[in-house]
Amino acid sequence: MMKRAMRINPDDNTATALNDIEAGETISLVSKSGPVGEMTASQAVPFGHKLAVVDVKNGEKILKYGEVIGLATRPIGKGEYVHTHNVESALLPGAREAK
Amino acid sequence: MEFLGYERPDGSAGIRNYVAVISSGRCANEMAATIADAVPGAVPVIHTHVCVRFKDDNEKALRVLSGIGSSPNVAAAVVVGVGCENPSPAIIAGEIAKSKKPVKVLTIMESDGFQSFMDEGLATTRSMVAEASRLQRKPFPLSYLTLGVKCGGSSAVSGIAGNAATGKVFDRLIAEGGTAIFSETTEVIGADHLLAKRAVNETVANKFREMVERQEAIIKASGEDIRGTQPTRGNISEGLTTIEDKSLGAMAKSGTSPIQGVLEYAEKPPGKGLYFMDGTAMTSELISSEAAAGAHIHIYNVGGGVSSSFRCAPGWMGDIPFIPQISVVSRQSKPRDSQEKDFFDIYADTVVEGTESVDEVADRFFDEVIAVASGKLTKREMRRGYREPIVLYSTGPIL
Repeated sequence: MMKRAMRINPDDNTATALNDIEAGETISLVSKSGPVGEMTASQAVPFGHKLAVVDVKNGEKILKYGEVIGLATRPIGKGEYVHTHNVESALLPGAREAK
Repeated sequence: MEFLGYERPDGSAGIRNYVAVISSGRCANEMAATIADAVPGAVPVIHTHVCVRFKDDNEKALRVLSGIGSSPNVAAAVVVGVGCENPSPAIIAGEIAKSKKPVKVLTIMESDGFQSFMDEGLATTRSMVAEASRLQRKPFPLSYLTLGVKCGGSSAVSGIAGNAATGKVFDRLIAEGGTAIFSETTEVIGADHLLAKRAVNETVANKFREMVERQEAIIKASGEDIRGTQPTRGNISEGLTTIEDKSLGAMAKSGTSPIQGVLEYAEKPPGKGLYFMDGTAMTSELISSEAAAGAHIHIYNVGGGVSSSFRCAPGWMGDIPFIPQISVVSRQSKPRDSQEKDFFDIYADTVVEGTESVDEVADRFFDEVIAVASGKLTKREMRRGYREPIVLYSTGPIL
């Protein structure tokens, strides 16, 4: 079976890896209801971690569960690994002022 | 849709039909347990509340004990005590009597001695059980049902498997006109601003914010700042990037329905729909408060770690035998033996394994809720044995 990642809400710009995904792998993107498409992971993404399902600009809101889980601290390309190295909490004092 | 339940005099419907023998204070636990254990159909409610507490904690204890006695799953209640407890056995029984069910108070101080007290307790309980046993189940719409939830040992997949499926079950029950309660005030910190947006109006949103601020103040007074320490290094290594990410995963269990109101610990919801209740993340404290608020079924969502590896998972300590607990497991690792999987009513790891979608898990989960409401025994109900007192949330000093 193809490796999978779940885009929990259709508005999300991230998906959560349901397997350990390796760089360059084509994966199946699934919603809560089932498969919705395929995409390529440009970087390795461990199980339970996130990858971008669209291109994200620097400072843009990171969406998971259809809600803001943080802000991008640099541009993130589609298929790239999304974690603490390129996202910070939108609740941080600095981030709040920037919004 | 309908379930088969027991009609209660206050117009509610129970899904179990026990006589509760409630200890009014820790000093009476042994008497309550001895009486209830001698009568099939009776269950003891024993707990940790003692009289050396102050007003606020005594009021919380009264809400929990009288709320549990008023549960629709209880046909009749006997409140037993020494007689000097606070809250007093008579006050607890008086509150239970508002639900119009049979209730009786027995205290050692007002008896002719210990043995006559025990004899009267047994005779009263037997007669109540005999009366309750005549009741037959009949159909009720799902709008009569109330669910409560707690998650324990969250894992990276809780938010997309077990909690996500629970959220869908909540949404479906609420669409049928039912009620659902979620809690764990400390766990919403970080998602509080987003949950506040789901409040039906600004009054509810403000009350919700106040409740979260109150809890944060309690934590800060102890020298800790949750926002500064979350997510933990362990959370980050599991893939949770920010405090919002972590809290939203925990709150996925609340579904997407609007929040109709905000309740104090063990307070009954004034209407139908989704409610947030103040409470800690301590499972045994939450089970008692959600039961007291009228929850018929308690959903216990188990993530990874030890919670998923032994059958007396932490949530089962101090559970209430007449509030069936549907346990749901979703985690990264496979069960280590065939028995582990059998500890749980709903195995949600299929979402991770790729054999089921969240919707499919939610569908069979919802069917299970209706089956359990109609009398099907849960895994936990079929494993009676070891028992701990229920735990009541207290915040004040002890005398």
